[in-house]
Amino acid sequence: MNKLRILVVEDDPAIRNLMATTLKSHDYRFMTASTGASALMQAATAQPDVMLLDLGLPDMDGVAIIRKVRTWSQMPIIVISARAEDTDKIDALDAGADDYLTKPFSVEELLARLRVTQRRLHFMQASSPSPIFSNGQLKIDYAAGCAWLGEQELHLTPMEYKLLCVMAQNVGKVLTLSFITQKVWGSSTESDIASLRVFMATLRKKLSAGKEDVQYIQTHIGVGYRMQKL
Amino acid sequence: MRNIIREHILVCLSSAPSNANTIRAAAKLSRAFGGTMTALYVQTKRSDQMGAEDRQRLQRHARLAEKLGASVSTVTGDDVAFQIAEFARISKATKVVLGRSAVPKGRLFAPKPLTEQLVELAPYLDVYIIPDSAGKNKRKQNPATKQRILPSIRDMLITIGILALSTVIGFAFHRLRFTEANTITVYILGVLLTALFTKNYVCSVISSLAGVLLFNFFFTEPRLSFQAYESGYPVTFAIMLFASLLTGTLANRLAVHVKRSTQTAWRTQVLLETTQQLGQAEDETDILEVIADQLLKLLNRPILLQCANGTSIRRFPDGEPIEDSTDTASQRFAFQSGGKQFGEVFIYGNALEPLESGILHSILGEGALAIESRQNARQKEEAAVLAKNEQLRANLLRSISHDLRTPLTSISGNAENLLASADAMDESDKRSLLTDIYEDSIWLIRLVENLLSITKIDEGQARLNMTTELVDEVIAESLRHIRAKTHTLETDFADEILLTQMDARLISQVIINLVDNAVKYTPEGSKIRISTQKQGKEVLVRVADNGPGIPDEIKSKVFDLFYTGSGKNADCRRSMGLGLHLCRSIIHLHGGEITLTDNTPHGCVFAFTLPISEVTFHEQITHTGG
Repeated sequence: MNKLRILVVEDDPAIRNLMATTLKSHDYRFMTASTGASALMQAATAQPDVMLLDLGLPDMDGVAIIRKVRTWSQMPIIVISARAEDTDKIDALDAGADDYLTKPFSVEELLARLRVTQRRLHFMQASSPSPIFSNGQLKIDYAAGCAWLGEQELHLTPMEYKLLCVMAQNVGKVLTLSFITQKVWGSSTESDIASLRVFMATLRKKLSAGKEDVQYIQTHIGVGYRMQKL
Repeated sequence: MRNIIREHILVCLSSAPSNANTIRAAAKLSRAFGGTMTALYVQTKRSDQMGAEDRQRLQRHARLAEKLGASVSTVTGDDVAFQIAEFARISKATKVVLGRSAVPKGRLFAPKPLTEQLVELAPYLDVYIIPDSAGKNKRKQNPATKQRILPSIRDMLITIGILALSTVIGFAFHRLRFTEANTITVYILGVLLTALFTKNYVCSVISSLAGVLLFNFFFTEPRLSFQAYESGYPVTFAIMLFASLLTGTLANRLAVHVKRSTQTAWRTQVLLETTQQLGQAEDETDILEVIADQLLKLLNRPILLQCANGTSIRRFPDGEPIEDSTDTASQRFAFQSGGKQFGEVFIYGNALEPLESGILHSILGEGALAIESRQNARQKEEAAVLAKNEQLRANLLRSISHDLRTPLTSISGNAENLLASADAMDESDKRSLLTDIYEDSIWLIRLVENLLSITKIDEGQARLNMTTELVDEVIAESLRHIRAKTHTLETDFADEILLTQMDARLISQVIINLVDNAVKYTPEGSKIRISTQKQGKEVLVRVADNGPGIPDEIKSKVFDLFYTGSGKNADCRRSMGLGLHLCRSIIHLHGGEITLTDNTPHGCVFAFTLPISEVTFHEQITHTGG
């Protein structure tokens, strides 16, 4: 497999060192930046595949960096935040980040996120807009407006189907609650979020279909949901 | 509570040139006592006739007083002493400073000096008199001052009328050959009536003298002359004059007394009502509303209450136009207690009657007092909470710094060993050292998470990030963070969809702490079962294990802060007594309850409840066949 080229943006030398060592020992190619300005420059000139971005940089707000990068590139951005506040992550995700990690994170966790991102990149590059989405056992026929799990057709309500489509179109990406409710209901009130919880619960039950270990949809407490690329 | 009485010094403003010295002296006094100072100006009828020069001087004095740290207040009323005494009572002044010019002297019919009146009205006040540097700065006597001594035309007419009537009756008695004693009685009765119906004491004096003269002129031999033949007459005249004067004085006093007591009754009633309503007021806004309502009731004029915190309350009598500007207000009053100003009251329309202004000051005083005591109580409460928090924080810090050392020592020591002599160690030794480092750091991470939550909880409800969550979802997510290779975790979720309002991160931490505890305190191979069920309007979450259980005598203590299990457990140093206490705080903040009971046949059950949120869904779930 062609290994990713990763841009590590982190101002703390110890953490930067830790990430560099981890990436090196897993044969990733990488470059580092310690300020927002140099991160933007390297992102533009070196064209990395993925950016690992620390939100607490000395010179720039992390969310502003995401917005800038998003004006010219769709490269996956994984945000790394020391602040346990959910709002930081949600802001970053809404600004266009794909995933997040909270310090302290384990090395395993970091590698797992990179694998997810790689699968997502492959998926994005391989599939031209196709009328049929497929992920593991799950298949969605957008044209016919129906979904299958293996050979079994899923009996979904219109809302569940709409929800499934939104998740599938952003497979591998963490979607915030307000993003999903905006897409499905066009608004994001307290009762929309309650409805989302309920529809998500019923949708998941139908997707798991007896097999508890296959998790198509992951919950991120306080943040949102993600459909995993299997 | 302030146990020390702070001196509050009241200085009287006037337009007299020497007043500036008085103000300076009062400021010195105030500084010496470390007290507060209020400059008071008593507005009387005379004030309206003040010349431009005097007016400017008065304003200069007010500014001087402000510059010297006094707050300036104005009251209205002709009885200067009464107004000062009242204001002193309301503003809790302890000392009054007067200029020498405020003490009239040398006039024949002069009322009692202000100082003497003040001492009578407010015996608890210390009165200081600052002498004029020189007597030359005498104020010009305004012609208006004489009005007080000269009776009004109406009073004069009444006096003359009654005297005439008495004389007519005297003639009738004379014609009927009644004795002179009857005529004298009629004149004395006339004086009595004069005293009752006129407002000026001078009228009854005039009436007494005139009565004697008229009696002498018309009814004693020789008649129609001021001579009297009989040797007893001078005595008769003297007694008659004396009786008249006495009667007049008494009647006058009675009239004044009746008026005072009616006013006192009214005032008592208004103030009582205000006090009652102030007692019922819940907070400061309520107090201000009560004051505004009472003032409207009392004055029936448009009122604007402007508070120090920026809010303003308006009240208008029915049908009156709404006044907005503070410039058009006819009178303004400071709203203060103990030298602290809480706001200002603007009154529109006619000038206030002295009585009204007295009551107004009483109401404002009561209100300010109420607000001050409310504020004091709140400050005291806050201080108590702060002290308690400080205590908790200190305990926490002590406990943490002690418990942080152990894992940190292990981490740094093991890393040091590895750095120094990694080459000399075999693979399995290195691995065991690295495992220790890893586990200790994971433990530190958990501890830091708990500490962060504690600071969050310290800051109270406002900091909670409440969202609608599915209980099962949160539990399932939390369990992903727990490594329990040696224990079996089982889940049993309710069939219904259970939505609650919660801070998902905190509740997740409760679950992690409870399951972690169960893993830590039960032998390997034990089963831990996490279940949810609906219980009325609550969700019941149970974490049950089949370990040895917890003895009854300890059960009540496990939720206490810094309670650290039984000392026998080898893992004891790892349980700071933070986890379960934190769980309880989190659950209580969510309006739930956490309990510990025994499991059957053995083991323990930690169970907590969360209120189910009543959510109306945005859209119905419609099932379509397909």
